Amino acid sequence: MLVTSLEIIPGRRVAKHLGLVQGSTVRAKHAGKDLMASLKNIVGGELKGYTELLQEARVEATARMVKQAEAVGANAVLNVRYSTSSITQGAAELLAYGTAVVLE
Amino acid sequence: MSLPPEYANPPLPEGINVTRTHPLADFARLLGGVAVVVVAVVGVSAVAAAHLARFVPFSAEAAAVQRFERVFPEAGGGPVEPWLRDLTARIAAASRLPSGMTVTVHYVQEPTVNAFATLGGHVVMYAGLLEKLESENAVAMVLAHEVAHVKLRHPASTLGRGLVLGLALTLVSTATGSDMVGNVLGPAGLLTVLSFSRRQEREADEAAAGALATLYGHTGGAPDLFRAIEVQRTGGSPPAFLSTHPLDAERIAAVESLARARGWPTTGATRPVPPDVRAAVRRATERAAPGVVD
Amino acid sequence: MDHFNLIVFLGLLLLGYVAGRIAESRHYRSIRQREAELGDVLVFASRFPPDFRVRPQTLVGGSVVVGEDYFKSIVAALQKLVGGRLKSYETLLDRARREAVLRMKEEARQKGASMVVNVKFQTFSIPGRNPNSLRAVEVLAYGTALGPAMPRG
Repeated sequence: MLVTSLEIIPGRRVAKHLGLVQGSTVRAKHAGKDLMASLKNIVGGELKGYTELLQEARVEATARMVKQAEAVGANAVLNVRYSTSSITQGAAELLAYGTAVVLE
Repeated sequence: MSLPPEYANPPLPEGINVTRTHPLADFARLLGGVAVVVVAVVGVSAVAAAHLARFVPFSAEAAAVQRFERVFPEAGGGPVEPWLRDLTARIAAASRLPSGMTVTVHYVQEPTVNAFATLGGHVVMYAGLLEKLESENAVAMVLAHEVAHVKLRHPASTLGRGLVLGLALTLVSTATGSDMVGNVLGPAGLLTVLSFSRRQEREADEAAAGALATLYGHTGGAPDLFRAIEVQRTGGSPPAFLSTHPLDAERIAAVESLARARGWPTTGATRPVPPDVRAAVRRATERAAPGVVD
Repeated sequence: MDHFNLIVFLGLLLLGYVAGRIAESRHYRSIRQREAELGDVLVFASRFPPDFRVRPQTLVGGSVVVGEDYFKSIVAALQKLVGGRLKSYETLLDRARREAVLRMKEEARQKGASMVVNVKFQTFSIPGRNPNSLRAVEVLAYGTALGPAMPRG
């Protein structure tokens, strides 16, 4: 499964456009990590716990999107976009979406 | 209108972007897990607080409480206070208090059926409870119980535990952002505290029975106290796990089995409360509005 | 122990659970039904239409605000202590996103279009009384509808 933010893959023709596919998840870190993050916020800098949280969420959202693409018989997802929204304090929603296509 | 044939939207399968589990099962698992953690944390910190309290010198505790000494009633004259003080001194000697530990007894002329020990070795006895007790031995059991709390540093460990519990609940409430979660987990923590409280009461009962045996040669009179409290309770007692004190019948049985194990006689001649003391106590309880009980 | 608090809590929890479950299954049923009905309005995330000559090309969009129920909020609050997936919010967002797409498709069909390209999503969470809780979530789906005149490709 090719997952790309490109619109056009040079040298490959799109045989079939199978429509919008999306994957999303809502995740949170445990309270201990939230506490660490709030302490880290005093001095600033990277909040590793939250970086990890969003990374995990992104991986899961992508995997779910790919699952939808596989279900419709695609072999690539083009024009993939990510959108992150903070649902509540310490919880993030990750959405990945793109167009499922069959590349020749 | 027509579309190029290579464009299509095949139907997407359900359930990819959601997790198919039963919400009630999730809820039960989460609540159970969090409650277990809270109980464990409160339990561990309670044990820690109880342990650490013993390392706080009693003199420091007494000095800290000195500022609040005005909240205790002043001696109002009459025969009750000198009698209680004398009895307490004898019990303190029989209880083998560590050096530097002092017990101060206060008498409150109110019909409340209660007695308690608090920080700094202060023991408070209400007229309401005294009025129910006919023998000096039963009164001695009450005082010995409270002296045992002081000796075992229970007020200090209770305070430490309370602080720990309050802190834990605040943390949980802030972390979840829901007072309601705190409201549900609060009782779980409270149940743990109650069970520790019951253990303290049992320890105090045992120590008190020992002091009673040393003082009078037998533990007779101790059951009178529990019976007096039992009669006073109306509307039935709560189940054991919801109660700060073990049930009265259990306490009687516990004291009796301890006495048997140690070879103390469970019965013997009991001394009556001096008549002038009883009269003063009765006057105090009658003067206050009857039926006003805690 | 404050029994009153506990009773109010359990009452709200039960109400939230029962009402929330009924609303959710009804919503899903309606979503599935309308998805079948609107199946001939195609949606794509691709930026380019199959044919640039198609007119008109109009912006269409659909949005919806879905609120959480009491039960979901409590489960999420507990889950946040432990970490991991907030399952109770996943269905909320899934419903919101599919509903938003459906509303966008409805608008496209009203305009006579048979296809929406360059679909984008935007999620906005409407905070509750305190920053820790969610009140509702808004999902907006928008894109460019093509049609009605589509030349044979």
